[in-house]
Amino acid sequence: MTITDTGLRPYPNGDSSIRRMALEAAGLGFDSLVAIGIPPADYSGITVREGVLIGNIPAREASAAVKRSREGTLVMVEAGDNGFNRAMLGVKGVHVLCGIQNADRHAFDHVTAKMAADNGVAVDISLAPLIRKRGASRQKALQRYRDVLMLSRKFSFPLILSTHASSVLEMRSVREMSALAVMIGFDLPEVESALACAGSASFGTGPVRVIV
Amino acid sequence: MTVRPPTLRENRRYVLARILPQGFSPDPKDLYYAIADAVTSLWGDDAASRIHPAVVAVENGHVFIRCQRGFERELLIALTTTATCGGGPVALRTVAISGTMESLRNRLKSSPVPPVFGPGTDATFDQRQCTVEYCESQKIDVVEKGFKNAARFFLTTEDLEDH
Repeated sequence: MTITDTGLRPYPNGDSSIRRMALEAAGLGFDSLVAIGIPPADYSGITVREGVLIGNIPAREASAAVKRSREGTLVMVEAGDNGFNRAMLGVKGVHVLCGIQNADRHAFDHVTAKMAADNGVAVDISLAPLIRKRGASRQKALQRYRDVLMLSRKFSFPLILSTHASSVLEMRSVREMSALAVMIGFDLPEVESALACAGSASFGTGPVRVIV
Repeated sequence: MTVRPPTLRENRRYVLARILPQGFSPDPKDLYYAIADAVTSLWGDDAASRIHPAVVAVENGHVFIRCQRGFERELLIALTTTATCGGGPVALRTVAISGTMESLRNRLKSSPVPPVFGPGTDATFDQRQCTVEYCESQKIDVVEKGFKNAARFFLTTEDLEDH
């Protein structure tokens, strides 16, 4: 099992270099990282995988951007309204639907959940709003995550736990992430699979093959 | 007020947490307000009164936090959500929990924070003139020189060499 933190934004998007983030991640109990816009490499024994974050553009442009993304990168799409999410879940090459806490209440329903399960697209549970926000916005994120967790249990689409850190100060240890996830309502096997999802060999690295 | 006998006192636990960024030693009162805010905003006033967090000491880049026994989990989760202190970014990484301050101090002695190395040294990172703020083995924190944008960068020694 490869424990992975996803959606990191190192320098120049953040204030920490990817080497420093990898060094910190090693101390925090991670095996690999997915960093936005950083070429794949190994630093301090941590495997860094490239991620692409697509967001705030119309569905047609987003699907073109997905097709342009290099092989081996983890393609993450920022959730929009329900129609956008349905369109993006149907696009081959989309691996993760993220930012579900910022989308409107009906953006991710039972139909999109079924589509995510059928297409093997994971839904990102970012712990950043729980760490950095307070009050109503954090309550909204908690509500949304509990709803997604309920749908995940029913439709069996994968979940990913991430910090989306742009600084080493925003990174959290595996134990701390587990504690926050348990607070949301995850049980421990769900936490393990969510932390290992992005790092699993079969996820997001190529087409799913049926072996009979 | 007389001191209560030991059997009537509240049972307490002590949490040792490392303060990040390294070399930053906040005012204990500011740290208390940051932790109290994190606990209250996450768990509410009722639970915060039960957790009863208190900053006992700030030593060697670590903070000793006291809470009621049985509420350590809630305190640790709240510490995870502590992101600012005194107007600046901060992170608290839990190191250990114990029933006595003494055992935490022993733990602190066994893993001391290495002394600050080369503060004030000039460095260049990505064509930015910086000053080394903290250095611990490969980790190096630099602050950009300038009046307005004194941004802090978290790097490794290799990053400075590369640039």
